[in-house]
Amino acid sequence: MGSDEAYNFVFKVVLIGESGVGKSNLLSRFTKNEFNHDSRTTIGVEFSTRTIQLKGLVIKAQIWDTAGLERYRAITSAYYRGAVGALLVYDITKHLTYESVERWLKELYDHADPNIIVMLVGNKTDLGSERSVPTEDAKDFAEKNGLLFLETSALESTNVETAFQNVLGEIHRKVSSKEVTRGSISAVSLSSPVPRAAGDPEETKPCCRNL
Amino acid sequence: MAKIENGRQSADSRSIRTISSSRMDDESSFGSDSEINGFTNDRHTDKYGFIGGAQRYSEESAQDVPPEVLRQREIKWLDMLSNWDKWMVKRHKKVRLRCQKGIPPSLRGRAWLYLSGGKVKREQNRGKFEELDSQAGDPKELDVIEKDLHRQFPFHEMFVSRGGHGQQDLFRVLKAYTLYRPEEGYCQAQAPIAAVLLMHMPAEDAFWGLVQICEKYLPGYYSAGLEAIQLDGEILYALTRRVSPLTYRHLEKHKIEPILYMTEWFMCAFSRTLPWASVLRVWDMFLCDGVKIIFRVGLVLLKCMLGTREKLKACQGQYETMELLRAIEPRYMQEGFLVREVLEVPVSERDVESEHHVQLKRWRKNHGELHWKSPPRMHGARAIMASEPPSRQDLRQNPTIIVKSPLPPPQPTPQLKKGEKKGKEEKKSKKKGSMKKTPPPVTEIPNPYNLPGDSKLPLTDPLPQLTLRDSPVQNPLFNDTPLSNTPKDSHLAQQPALNDQPAFNDQLVLNDQSFLKESPLQKSRHSLSSTEADHQDTYL
Repeated sequence: MGSDEAYNFVFKVVLIGESGVGKSNLLSRFTKNEFNHDSRTTIGVEFSTRTIQLKGLVIKAQIWDTAGLERYRAITSAYYRGAVGALLVYDITKHLTYESVERWLKELYDHADPNIIVMLVGNKTDLGSERSVPTEDAKDFAEKNGLLFLETSALESTNVETAFQNVLGEIHRKVSSKEVTRGSISAVSLSSPVPRAAGDPEETKPCCRNL
Repeated sequence: MAKIENGRQSADSRSIRTISSSRMDDESSFGSDSEINGFTNDRHTDKYGFIGGAQRYSEESAQDVPPEVLRQREIKWLDMLSNWDKWMVKRHKKVRLRCQKGIPPSLRGRAWLYLSGGKVKREQNRGKFEELDSQAGDPKELDVIEKDLHRQFPFHEMFVSRGGHGQQDLFRVLKAYTLYRPEEGYCQAQAPIAAVLLMHMPAEDAFWGLVQICEKYLPGYYSAGLEAIQLDGEILYALTRRVSPLTYRHLEKHKIEPILYMTEWFMCAFSRTLPWASVLRVWDMFLCDGVKIIFRVGLVLLKCMLGTREKLKACQGQYETMELLRAIEPRYMQEGFLVREVLEVPVSERDVESEHHVQLKRWRKNHGELHWKSPPRMHGARAIMASEPPSRQDLRQNPTIIVKSPLPPPQPTPQLKKGEKKGKEEKKSKKKGSMKKTPPPVTEIPNPYNLPGDSKLPLTDPLPQLTLRDSPVQNPLFNDTPLSNTPKDSHLAQQPALNDQPAFNDQLVLNDQSFLKESPLQKSRHSLSSTEADHQDTYL
C-alpha cells in the first residue's frame, strides 16, 4: 500500500450483497488482479485499495468487503460510515440473491450517506448457461431506482474494471459538481493531508474535499 | 486479505472448476485429496497439513520440542486424562501449566475434548449426534453451509478437495449444530472453528467441541444480532486503555471501532490470523482458561503493532491503522514470543467480567435491552466441569489402543485390512485408561513404540500394562521425529482397539464396540454422498 503516493481523492466504496455472490473476488480482481475459487468466507471486514487515474486526477479507491450473511448486518454501521459508493452484488445464477437486492438497498440507505452512488452488479456471467436473472429485469430495476448497472465476471475479469471505474467516475462527478450540498458527501480523508512529493509542494492537493 | 490465500492464479482455478462434486468422492479415497485439486507433490505440505506455506509455518520459527520431552509430556498427559476429574479438582494449576507449555500433538485432540467438556457431553448424549446426522436439516441453512465448505482453510489438505472427507465432515458437523440448536441456526464463523476441531478429532467429537465453544466459551458469538461479539469488542477496547494507553488514544482519535479489527480475531479464535503453531498454542490455553486468553492475545497484538509512538507515526489515519492490524508482523505472532507475552498480560477473568458489566450497562443505555440473551460464559475447563459434573464413566478413555510388548503374532481385522490397503503408517499407540499412576523410571522412559526385535520392555516394569497394537502395518513407525504432529494422525488414536486380548478391562471392549459400529453416514440424506468404505478410510 503506497502511503507515499500522492493522490487527490480517497473514495471509500463498499461491496454488499448476499453470501457467495462474489464480492471478495470482485475486490481481489480489481485491486490485485487475482481470483480464487476457494477464497475464504469473509468474516469481519476486509479491504483493499487501488489507485487509479481519472480525468487527470489520482483517485485512491478504498474498497471494503464484509460478510454477506444476514446476521452480520448487525455490525455494519461502522462499515458504511464514510462510504461514497457501493456495489450491490448479486449472482446471476441464483435468483434468490437478486430478490434480496431491495432489502440491501434499504439497508444501505438506512446506514449510508443518502447521496451514495450505487451500482447494481450481476456477477458470474461466466456461468451464462445457468443464468436465472434476465439482464433486462435487472436493468429495469436499476433504472427505476437510480442505480448504475453492469454484469460482470470476476473469474474471467469481464467488466470488473469498468464497474469500478464507472462508480468512481460517478462519485467524482458528484463530488466536483455543485449538485451536492456542502458537507453531505465527503471524499473520505484519513485525517491526514496528502503527503507532499519531495520538491513538489504545489502539485499535490489536499485529499479531503468537503464540497 | 492474506496474500497466501490468493496464491493460485486464475488459470489454475478455471481448470479446477470442471471437477464436479460427485466425481470427487470416488477419486478422493485414493491418494491424497490434495492431488485432486492440482496440487502435485512439488507443493510442500507442512507438518500441520497446510500446503504451499499457507498459514505461515516456517522452519526457522518452528519451536520443535525434542522427542524425549514430548514423550515425557505424553506420559503426563495420558496420566491426567486417565484421572481427569482428580487432576481438574485437585491439581488444576498443573493442568493449566501443561496447557501453557503446549499439549503434545498426538494427544491434542483428546485433550481438547476433555478440556472443553465435549467428552462428557458426548458420553451423556450417546446416539444424539448420530440422530442429528441422519436428519435432513433446514434447506436454507444447508444452502449457506454448502457455500462455505470449500472456503475454510482451502489450503489445508484436509479441506482442499471439494466434496472430500474433510468438507463432508464439516458439513455434517455444521448441519448437526443447526439441528441441535435450530433457534441459533448457522453462523459463518462457526465453520473455521469446526474445521480446526476436525483437524484433530472425528466428526462426532468435533461436533461436541463446537457445542461447547459456542455455548460455554463464547456464548452468543454466533447468534443472530452478533451482540455478544460487539460487547466483547467494547470490552477489548476498554481493556486496551489499561494495557496500552497510547494504543487506546490512537484508536479513539481515529474512531477505529473494535468491530473493524477484532471480529475475525475473536469469532474464529485467531485461527485465521496466526501462524498455525501459534493457533494451536492459543487454543490449548483458551480451552483451559477461557475467553480471557482471547482477550490477551488481542491486547498483545494491538500493543505490539500500535503501542509505541514510533509505530503510530506511520499510522496517520483509520485506514492505515487497519492495514497495520491486518498485517501483524510475523515476529509478534511467533509461538514462543506470543505465548510469553500472553502470559504476562495483566487481565484476569474478573477483569473481563467486571468490564462486561460496565459495557453491558452502556449498551442498554444506547441500544436498549439485548435481543439475544446468552447464558453466562464459562471461563475455562474447570468452570465447565463444575457446571456439568461428569461421572467416572463419562471420563473413561474411549476408545484406547492398547500397547503391548512383546508383540503377539499379527491378527488381521477388518479395520486393519483397510489400513493395509491404504498402506499408510499407523503410528499411534496409547496406554490404557487405567494405567497405574507410578512415576516412570528416572533414567529410562519405557519405549511403548518398540518395533519387533528392539529391546523388550522389562515385564516387571510397572508401567506397561501395555499391549502393542498388533498391526502388521507397523513399518518404520519409529523414527526420530516427534510423535506424529500431523493432525490427521490423532484420528488414528480414535480407531478402535483390535482383537488383542487386553491385559484387563472388559469395559474397554464394551466401549470399543460402539466404535466398531458402522458409520451413520450412509443413512444421512445430505447432499454430499459418500460410501461407507470411504468414511472408514478417512483418517487412516
